Amino acid sequence: MVASAQTVLRDAWSRLQQVDLIGGVVSDVLRGSGLNIADVDVVIDCGSDVLDGRSISNCGFLGAMGAHHKEESRVEEDGLFGAVYATTKVACGSASVALVLAYSKPSESDVSAYYSTLTEPFYQRALGLDQVSTAGLMANQYLTRTDADEEALLRIAERAWSRAAGNPWIEQSPDLGPEDVARSALVADPLRSLQIARPRDGAVAVLLASEPVARRLSDRPVWVTGMGSAMDSHLLSERLPGQLEACQVAAHMAMSRAGLKDASDVDLVEVTASSSATEAMVVEALGLAAVGHGVDCYADGAQVDVNPSGGAVPADPIMATGLVRLHEASARLAGRIGEGQPTRALAHGAGGLGMQNHCVFTLEV
Amino acid sequence: MTDGLVTSIDEAQVLTTTLSMPYTLTTGPAAGSFLFELGNHRILGSRCEVCSRTVVPPSDYCSRCGEAPDEFVQLPETGTVTALTRTDRGVLALIRLDGADADLLHRLDLAKGAVTVGTRVRAVWAATATQSVLDLDCFVLDEDDQPPGTAHPAGEVGLIAQVPHQLELEYQHSYGPHYGRLFDELASSRRILGSLCPTCRNVLVPPREFCDACFVRTGQHVDVSDHGVLQAFSVIHLEFVGQTRTPPYIYAEIVLDGSATRLIHTVAGFDVATAAERLSIGMPVRAVWKDPADCRGTLNDIDYFEPVPSPDQQ
Ligand SMILES: [Zn+2]
Ligand SMILES: [Zn+2]
Repeated sequence: MVASAQTVLRDAWSRLQQVDLIGGVVSDVLRGSGLNIADVDVVIDCGSDVLDGRSISNCGFLGAMGAHHKEESRVEEDGLFGAVYATTKVACGSASVALVLAYSKPSESDVSAYYSTLTEPFYQRALGLDQVSTAGLMANQYLTRTDADEEALLRIAERAWSRAAGNPWIEQSPDLGPEDVARSALVADPLRSLQIARPRDGAVAVLLASEPVARRLSDRPVWVTGMGSAMDSHLLSERLPGQLEACQVAAHMAMSRAGLKDASDVDLVEVTASSSATEAMVVEALGLAAVGHGVDCYADGAQVDVNPSGGAVPADPIMATGLVRLHEASARLAGRIGEGQPTRALAHGAGGLGMQNHCVFTLEV
Repeated sequence: MTDGLVTSIDEAQVLTTTLSMPYTLTTGPAAGSFLFELGNHRILGSRCEVCSRTVVPPSDYCSRCGEAPDEFVQLPETGTVTALTRTDRGVLALIRLDGADADLLHRLDLAKGAVTVGTRVRAVWAATATQSVLDLDCFVLDEDDQPPGTAHPAGEVGLIAQVPHQLELEYQHSYGPHYGRLFDELASSRRILGSLCPTCRNVLVPPREFCDACFVRTGQHVDVSDHGVLQAFSVIHLEFVGQTRTPPYIYAEIVLDGSATRLIHTVAGFDVATAAERLSIGMPVRAVWKDPADCRGTLNDIDYFEPVPSPDQQ
C-alpha cells in the first residue's frame, strides 16, 4: 500500500455529487504519491447502485475515477472487498499499480429502505426488517447468550464517540459526544441511537503497488501480509446468535497467511461494526477477547489499540467503511497519522444486513 | 419565467426522484408453498434428514449441507421467543416454534401482555389473506400456556408460483456545482454550458470537474451553441418503465457546435414515420426551446431538436 486518502465523513456532502467526491479523493490519493494516473493499471470501485439511485452507477464515474480506457471493475460491496480484488491483481502480476476507491452518499436516500432491499423478499421484507431492527435483535442475542451487559455496550459506544471526537476526518457535531450515548433515544432496545452505526457521506481511495514500485516510492511501504473473507447465512435465524462466525473465519484466513497467532500479535486494529454490540462481537471473533468480554479491549492500557479512529459507530460511510479502516490502519503504520510506532495492524470490513459478509486485511511495515 | 436560479448559492438544493420498480418474483417450491399454506392457517417448515434439522420458513436447500429438503412439515402455532427488539415500527422477534431447530423472524404484538426472551407465544392470523408473510399477522403472549406441540408431515401443499412486488425508493440527488450551474443557465438564460479541458481543449457537455480522457480538472465553463450536428438517431417504438416520452419518438445523439461530446435528446417537429427520409447523420439540427414560463432547469427545457432548413427551404 503506497498511498491512501479520504474525504471528511459528513452528515451530507450536499453540494457535491458522488462523482465529485470520487474525483476529489482520487486526485488526493495520487498527490504526493510519486505516481500519476497514467501509472494506474487497474481501477476497482465500490459503491451501491441502490444508494446511488442508478443502475451500474460506475459507468457515470469513469472519468472522475481516472479509469478512461483502463481495466475497471465494480465491486458492489464494501471497499475492503475491492481491495482484495486489487491486491490479487497486483500479487498475481497482472497490474503494477492498482487504485481502489469506495464512496457513499446515504444522505441522498433512505438508509432503512436501502437495507430493506437487502432482505429476503418473501419472508423478511414485509416484516419491516432493516439495519436498526437487525442491530437491536443482534444486540439482544449478544446480551442473552453471553455474560455481557448493557453497561458494556454503552462503554464501547462512549469510547467510539470519544475517539471520533479526536478524528479530524469526521465532521464534528458540537451537540454529540460520548456523554450523550447513555441518554440518546432507545431506538432498537437494548440499543440507543448513538450505539448504532451512523451513516455518513464520504469517499476513500487506496493505491496498491507491486514490490518494486513500492520500494521505489517509499523507504517504509506498508505490506499486505494477509487477506481473508467469509460469508454467513443470509437469514439471521441461521447464524450463531451472539457471535460472528464468518468474521472469525475471515480473520483466521488472513492471520494464518500472515503468520500471526491471533490478533493480539498486532499493534492496532480498525474494525467495522453495525452497532456497539456487533463491535464487541467483531473483536471477540478476532480473538482479542473471550466471547462476551469484548468490552475489555477498550480498557485503558489495552495491549492492542482498537479503533483509534473511532470506528464505524460514529461514522459509517456505507460501502466505504471497511476501506476507511484500511486507510486508517495503513496511514498509522506509515506514520502519516497517529502516535507511537505501530508495526503491525489489522483492518476489518463488513457488508450485508447484520454484517453477513466479513473481510480482513493484515498489514505490516 | 422561473424565479431566478433553480439551484442556489445560499442553499444546497436537490432533485427529488423516485425509483419505482415493478417486479414479478418467482417464489420457488419452499416460499411458494409457505405463502400458500399461510392462507390455510398452516405454518410450513422444511426438514433435512442429513442434518436432522427442521427450519421455518422452509428452504429449497438446507443451509448447512446444501441438499434439497426431504419434506415439508407443518409446525405448531406456538413457540418460545429467543430474541426481540422494539423499534418505532413495532416489535420484531426471533421465535423458536415448537418442533423447529431454527428461529422464525416475525412481529410481536404486546397487547396480550409483556413478552421477553423465553416467553411462550402463539400465532395470530390476519383477518384476510393477502398471499404474504403477514397472513400470519403476528405472535402474542400465549396465555393458555399449552404444552409444546410437535412438527408433523405437511401432506399435500399448494403453491403460489409468483408474487407481484414493487420497490419504491426515494432520492434527493445533489446537483453539485456543475449540473447546478448548467440547469440554472438553461432555465434562466437558455444557455448551454460545457467544461473546457485545459489539456485536450475539448468542451464537455454536461459540464464536469474532470476531463474523462485526461483526468485533469476542467476549471472553466464555456458557452456551447444550441445548434449542432446529428450524430446518431433511432426511432423508439418500444414502451418501457421510466419512459418520459410517448413512443414513437426519435432518440438522437447530437454534437452541439463547440462541444466534443454527444448530447442525448430527441429530434421532432415532423411526422416520425418520415424520420428515415428526413434525417441523415451529420445533418445540422437546432434546439427548439419551451416557453420560458415552462422552463424548469432541466435538459427538457429544450423541447426537442429540429433539422435546420437548408437555405433553399427557408
Ligand atoms: Zn442439511
Ligand atoms: Zn482533456
